[in-house]
Amino acid sequence: MLATWLLVMSLAGAQSFDDLVKADPSNWLSYSGSFGAQRHSLLKQINTANIATVAPKWIYHVAKAEELEGVPIVANGVMYVSQADEVNALDARTGRLIWQYQHAGGSHRGFNRGLAIYQNRVFLGTTDASLVALDALTGGVIWERKMAGEPPLRYQGGAPLVVRDKVIIGSYGRSGFVDAYETKTGEHLWRFSVLPKAGDPGSETWAGKDPWKFGGGPTWLSGTYDPELNLVYWGTGQANPDFVGDVRAGDNLYTECVVALDADSGKVKWYFQFTPHDTHDYDAVEIPMLVDATYEGQPRKLMVQANRNGYYYVLDRTNGKFLHGTPFVKSINWAKGLTAEGRPLVDETKFPSVLGTEVCPSTAGATNWPSPVYNPDTHYFYLMVTEGCSINYKASDKFQPTGTTEQGTSYVEGKGEQARWQNYVRALDLISGKQIWEFKLIGTNHYGPGLLSTAGGLIFAGDNQGIFSALDAKTGKSLWHFNVGEKITASPMAYAVGGQEFVGLLAGPNVVVFGLPDAK
Amino acid sequence: MRSSRVLTLLAGWACLWGQGNPFAKDPKAVDEGREIYNRACTICHGYEGAGGDRAPGLAASARRYKRVSDADLFDAIAKGIPGTMMPPAGLPESDEWKLAMYIRSLRGTAIDHPGEGDAAHGEQIFWNKGGCGQCHLMHGKGGLMGPDLSNIASQRRLTLLRDALTKPDHRVVTDGGRHEVNLAPSGAYQAVRVVTRDGKAIEGVLRNEDNYSIQMMGADNQLHLFVKSELREFVYEPNSLMPTDYDKRLSPEELRDLIAFLSRQGVPAENRSKR
Repeated sequence: MLATWLLVMSLAGAQSFDDLVKADPSNWLSYSGSFGAQRHSLLKQINTANIATVAPKWIYHVAKAEELEGVPIVANGVMYVSQADEVNALDARTGRLIWQYQHAGGSHRGFNRGLAIYQNRVFLGTTDASLVALDALTGGVIWERKMAGEPPLRYQGGAPLVVRDKVIIGSYGRSGFVDAYETKTGEHLWRFSVLPKAGDPGSETWAGKDPWKFGGGPTWLSGTYDPELNLVYWGTGQANPDFVGDVRAGDNLYTECVVALDADSGKVKWYFQFTPHDTHDYDAVEIPMLVDATYEGQPRKLMVQANRNGYYYVLDRTNGKFLHGTPFVKSINWAKGLTAEGRPLVDETKFPSVLGTEVCPSTAGATNWPSPVYNPDTHYFYLMVTEGCSINYKASDKFQPTGTTEQGTSYVEGKGEQARWQNYVRALDLISGKQIWEFKLIGTNHYGPGLLSTAGGLIFAGDNQGIFSALDAKTGKSLWHFNVGEKITASPMAYAVGGQEFVGLLAGPNVVVFGLPDAK
Repeated sequence: MRSSRVLTLLAGWACLWGQGNPFAKDPKAVDEGREIYNRACTICHGYEGAGGDRAPGLAASARRYKRVSDADLFDAIAKGIPGTMMPPAGLPESDEWKLAMYIRSLRGTAIDHPGEGDAAHGEQIFWNKGGCGQCHLMHGKGGLMGPDLSNIASQRRLTLLRDALTKPDHRVVTDGGRHEVNLAPSGAYQAVRVVTRDGKAIEGVLRNEDNYSIQMMGADNQLHLFVKSELREFVYEPNSLMPTDYDKRLSPEELRDLIAFLSRQGVPAENRSKR
């Protein structure tokens, strides 16, 4: 009887645009779970009172995977899990495989951070820079489309985002870009190139006025969307060469920005640059989270981002106006603060040097791509933080790039073990950015995994030793933990099937799903 | 006249291609190689071979390199590595040999340049006056709390051996810049003290720890495994259990001999597995 019901749901529940807007908590329909990317599930069957009884329900091993970085999508009882050039569709209640898609081309290597779903089509970006639409019920290919533009194009694994009838996806050619394709046909609709062409607005912020000579601005994560404003928000990465700014004097637009793009045209409505003229490779690709909240007594449409550069930013997402910014780490020396407009007061003595400069936060960042969360009950913003520094080098004082992919040298972890990096889960006040509590993740130091918030009053947090914890959202106290036995770098998610809540997580090569004990 | 010049040139080529590294005994070659390296190679391989995002570190002690001899390295530098981003260097051959020597020197450990002194006497110091064997294992004999030193000369440079014995701030330098290996037990030998609920105090070194449990090797040479909630007290001791005043505990000759002994405990690079 239940099986019949599930089958009917699978056939009937083609995900509409309204479904994506509403984000019914039984499903998890996108990388971030909802357009605003708060990653707060309204499910509360699992809560602070019963979390101690939660146990693993099933494990699915993704063959040949090493370190999965995606977030599963769940639609109507089916879970979709990706790795490079591959999708697995699983029974979300039991972990049994339904179908598997293997892309015929591509390297089948490297990271894939997830999928999108819309009207029973699952969208996958591939390592040979194609976009594939699969039938959600069978895995059959509906269309496959090479990304537009001159090769070589490099898809860097960020999950696509469906907005109305468009699949939006970030990728990289000589410049990072954000593309829109029609969901039914795969037709290419528009492109936003992070680097302006010579003569276009923004090119004057590059010495020589031709940013394409250098390259940069990768867009390797996913974005967010405000359906009322019809704006897509996307973070952009560093300018090239990453660690040598001498050859590209100026702010280097639109690198290290969040851009607000008109979803219909791809035109820039506004941008905000977190790290102008970045020389530390602080990619600003972290998910720009959308929250409606009261700011100075007025209801505001806010965007918040904890940037890899160590500052927490609050912006007005209607116009990009900077409202507030504050450091969320103690280890910070690349800038001495922010101006009233949110521009960093850069300490030029911290630029990379031939002999090495200690820079805090490290290039790996005060936080990185794993997602933060917002709980509307506590009004706290939660994130994974790394306290740490790196030694940043440049190749020479006369470094001249000869191509568009050059970094100009490298960085190394600071001072060996004297400066061991340390990860924390921190809760910040949404508006002030003030730290409310922290949970130290002992023995963990690099690219902490992302978080999940639930209406059960819980924050789920993994660590890179393989320990998965549930913390009290109000206090940060650990209420439960489980050793999944594999490094966790991805962000957890929640869903429900047949009225039963599950928490899902990719850990190492496995999908691990937790729930309450079955009723006897 | 002309023919003799040709012969000289031919002899030069034979030296370069046929008989291996022409600079093998040149004491300045490594330093010259360093100069060349920092001009030509840092862009991909990082400063001092630390590694970059485009190419691996060349001096990572945890890494097993396929090319370990000067000739192997010269070959890769001169011809590039097909199927990778490593191009032929296009430098004069003399520079390429010096580069090979510099890269090998980055990887060299104590066994490749052992300390001078009476190693047999150093072994006596190790087991007796130095007390090293109380905590350290050496070829299957000794204590269990500290690191096994049976292969130490293949793992550490000579200067690091001396630092470990004489400098309080000494810490092992990691490879850096790479992702940490997952689920690795702590390699830092953090000294800890715990008190169990029934009041038993145990000292030792931490082997691994997470938020909820610890695994430690006690001074009693026993493994102790605890869930933290079962402990009354758990503290990190501020100081390492490793003494760092061997320049005072031992005479200069004794310290020299101990280092001569330690710097011979291991397998030379050329005999190590090329896996």
